Amino acid sequence: MPARSFALPVLVVAGCLIACVAAATMPDRGAGVADGVVETFRERNGAVFGDWPKPKAVLVFTGELDGYIEPCGCTGKENQKGGLSRRQNFLRAFKAAGWEAVPVDLGGQVKRFGKQTEAKFQSIVDGIRGMKYAAVGFGPGDLRLPAEELVAAVAPIGDEPTPYVSANVGLLGLDANITPRFRVVEAGGLKIGLTTVLGDAEAAQIRNDDIEVVPAAKALAPVAAELAKAGCDHQVLLCFAKPEETKALAAAFPQFDIVATAGGADEPPRELPALPGGARLVELGHKGMFAVAVGFFADASEPVRSQRVPLDARWGEASDMIDLLANYQQKLETLGLDGLGLAPIRHPSGRRFAGSAACEECHQEAFDVWRDSPHATALATLEEARPRRDGDPECLSCHVVGWAPQRFEPFEGGFAGMAKTPHLAHQGCENCHGPAAAHTAVERGDVRATEAERDRLRAELVLSLDTPDGKEKAINNCLECHDLDNSPKFDFDEYWPAVEH
Amino acid sequence: MAWQGPRAWLVTVAALAAGSMVGVGGAALRATLTPWQIGDLAPLVGDVPTDAPRAEVPETRYEFGTIGTGAGGSHRFAIRNTGGGPLTLSRGHSSCTCTVSDFEGAEEGSAEATKVVPAGETALVTVTWKGKPPGGPFRQQVTVLTDDPRRPEIALVVEGTVVPTWRAVPESIALANLSASGGQQTSATIYTYGPESPMVKAVTIDHPQAAEFFSLATAPLSAEEIAAETGATGGFRIEVAIRPGLPLGRLRQTISATFAMPEDVTAEVPLEGNVGGDLVLAGPGWDSSRQALVLGTVSGKSGLRTRIFLTAKGPHRDLIRPTVEETVPQSLQVTVGPGSPVGTGGAVRIPLEIVIPPGSRGANHICSEQGPAGRIVLATGHPDSPTLSIPVCVAIGP
Repeated sequence: MPARSFALPVLVVAGCLIACVAAATMPDRGAGVADGVVETFRERNGAVFGDWPKPKAVLVFTGELDGYIEPCGCTGKENQKGGLSRRQNFLRAFKAAGWEAVPVDLGGQVKRFGKQTEAKFQSIVDGIRGMKYAAVGFGPGDLRLPAEELVAAVAPIGDEPTPYVSANVGLLGLDANITPRFRVVEAGGLKIGLTTVLGDAEAAQIRNDDIEVVPAAKALAPVAAELAKAGCDHQVLLCFAKPEETKALAAAFPQFDIVATAGGADEPPRELPALPGGARLVELGHKGMFAVAVGFFADASEPVRSQRVPLDARWGEASDMIDLLANYQQKLETLGLDGLGLAPIRHPSGRRFAGSAACEECHQEAFDVWRDSPHATALATLEEARPRRDGDPECLSCHVVGWAPQRFEPFEGGFAGMAKTPHLAHQGCENCHGPAAAHTAVERGDVRATEAERDRLRAELVLSLDTPDGKEKAINNCLECHDLDNSPKFDFDEYWPAVEH
Repeated sequence: MAWQGPRAWLVTVAALAAGSMVGVGGAALRATLTPWQIGDLAPLVGDVPTDAPRAEVPETRYEFGTIGTGAGGSHRFAIRNTGGGPLTLSRGHSSCTCTVSDFEGAEEGSAEATKVVPAGETALVTVTWKGKPPGGPFRQQVTVLTDDPRRPEIALVVEGTVVPTWRAVPESIALANLSASGGQQTSATIYTYGPESPMVKAVTIDHPQAAEFFSLATAPLSAEEIAAETGATGGFRIEVAIRPGLPLGRLRQTISATFAMPEDVTAEVPLEGNVGGDLVLAGPGWDSSRQALVLGTVSGKSGLRTRIFLTAKGPHRDLIRPTVEETVPQSLQVTVGPGSPVGTGGAVRIPLEIVIPPGSRGANHICSEQGPAGRIVLATGHPDSPTLSIPVCVAIGP
């Protein structure tokens, strides 16, 4: 029969499709990311989950975001790892593959202090809530913030519980019960007990009267007893401490079979080392560039597998997290420099800025080189970014004239917005040579000066590469912005020809 | 219909199974053919020809111990071909701050920097690294690709610790809620890692006009304190006493400590904080930017129960015994709990239980033109701030 003769191949093809779809639903890319992008980053940073069968459940560890809500830098975002947007898409890839994932975070969302950091912490926690984390701990950077800001960000919202869990950190005191001490979740038929702890050495760095931190081992004892009674298949300790302290706690509480630690190298190891008590140690690296997935399997010969996952461009962008970033940038824009508490600081030289256009009057050749370089459009890159970043001091500090790049603060007389100081837009001459207002005023004849005074002002702005000291000074100046985070491939001798003048 | 019955089902299941096997097989084939799909130690499924190369690496991890910032090193990893045919090696991805040298004796002009290792011979791969500031644990990995079907990639890892010249703990001091009337003591520790013990020459604060509020002193660390910091050989503590009277608002200073080791080194420790009043509110619904308790829209039928906290600081903290003087709307009930010390004892936390009982009448105090803010007014017992009025944004619906 014709119908029969067609049906057989159709069924074979259908079966093939079922299997192919099953194979394609490996969580190895973000939704909608092109094959070429996936292939590029697979080759660059390695494949993920290549030989994994479907696990019963996967614990997804993140931590030590260190304020890197998104990756940033002159080498292009696509060449950097990390950010909440990619993380969200990575977690969604599990759902698309039909794998049950339980995200947990070690803590350490921020490192700095001040209004911008408060706004950033709030946005990050909003993102964490959106990603449905099961447990999040506190890092010492988080606990530098005012308790009222922490509570506002972390506290339960209506019926939605806080994602935060801590055995030994109590915002406004442990008995205020803003956050629970532990949590038990069920996933893939497994019962998983989760708790977090802040190490004693890290706790000693906190100078915040409104936060109670109990010594880690003392606080863990009653929590461990409760978890032991809960009949968990796995018990997980997220320990914000250096590896030595984490290992000591793991030895003291051997019931935890997975223990995550802070304080390792930038890049986590490919495999989870086993601790003497049998627990697996999870290291996460820094700046949220990696996640580590730990899968639980029915296979008795290999019940646990792990995968280090670089959060690179293969995960794409999640629109809800892009919206969150846009809201964060909008918040910074609304607060403005005054609202962010950024009172200008004195430049070490005590001098003021003139703007790059003033240099053109006498230094035409050098100015032309600058004008044709990316430095001359540095602010435009922030204005044109989506969402735009030109209200973000952490970005502005390397894209305008007259800011302290590593302090993210303006100098007196430095850029204060396009409305007030358009002549100080972009990465201009004075960021390397020093503030030139006095020099230009004297050269123009606006101010009277002796010949010696004029020569002194000229000499102060000379940056010579002809001596080792001069070159070192110039290189150090470049490194203020071309640092490891933002320009990891920076090499002065390689980059200099592009702006040589 | 001929296409019915147990036989038809059997054929259906068999066809689906066959198709599935083809699909799975295809997926497995893809995984086998793409080196990146396979982990470092993933075995090849199936037989390996006897003339295939075999890469053996006695050591894939090298621990270099500790090095100073700016210092570097290198290590040679050996890859031996114990198979029956020539082994081809090529460079894979390496971490950005770590470099892998060309294979010794690599083919001239080869764009891929490949090396063919005859059977029975060994290739050497040199990995170099440099300790960059600020120091800390260091791990870098380079990947070598091979045509050994059992081991398509080899990860070579170098790790250790980069030791800085000095380190401040904490890196910066943050005093989140500093009471203007209370003052505070705080400290930072400078650890040094050189052969010489540090000799402190000067400790200063950057804004001379603020100096009247700060007293700075240094104290040497004990041998136990130094021993507790990995790699440290010396150090001292900067003790900071902050006097009452700092102006309200953001505090930003930098403490600079100059010490000889024997060259002069200046360590900078930022000191930041918020100088505020003695009474601070916090808790679910407290919006510090609006300075209001935002309860939103509450069902009058089911009501609401929540809790916020009043934290008292400064020299009068133990005098604070709030009592409720007024609430708007009147259905808002506030109960003041007992105070208890929190943190290091420099603050007293007082819970405020806030209840809108079920069955409360409707009211609009949502903090808009139509609904002006409600309030909770407390008598505090503080000699300088005897009354505290807390704006409340709430609408009680049906």
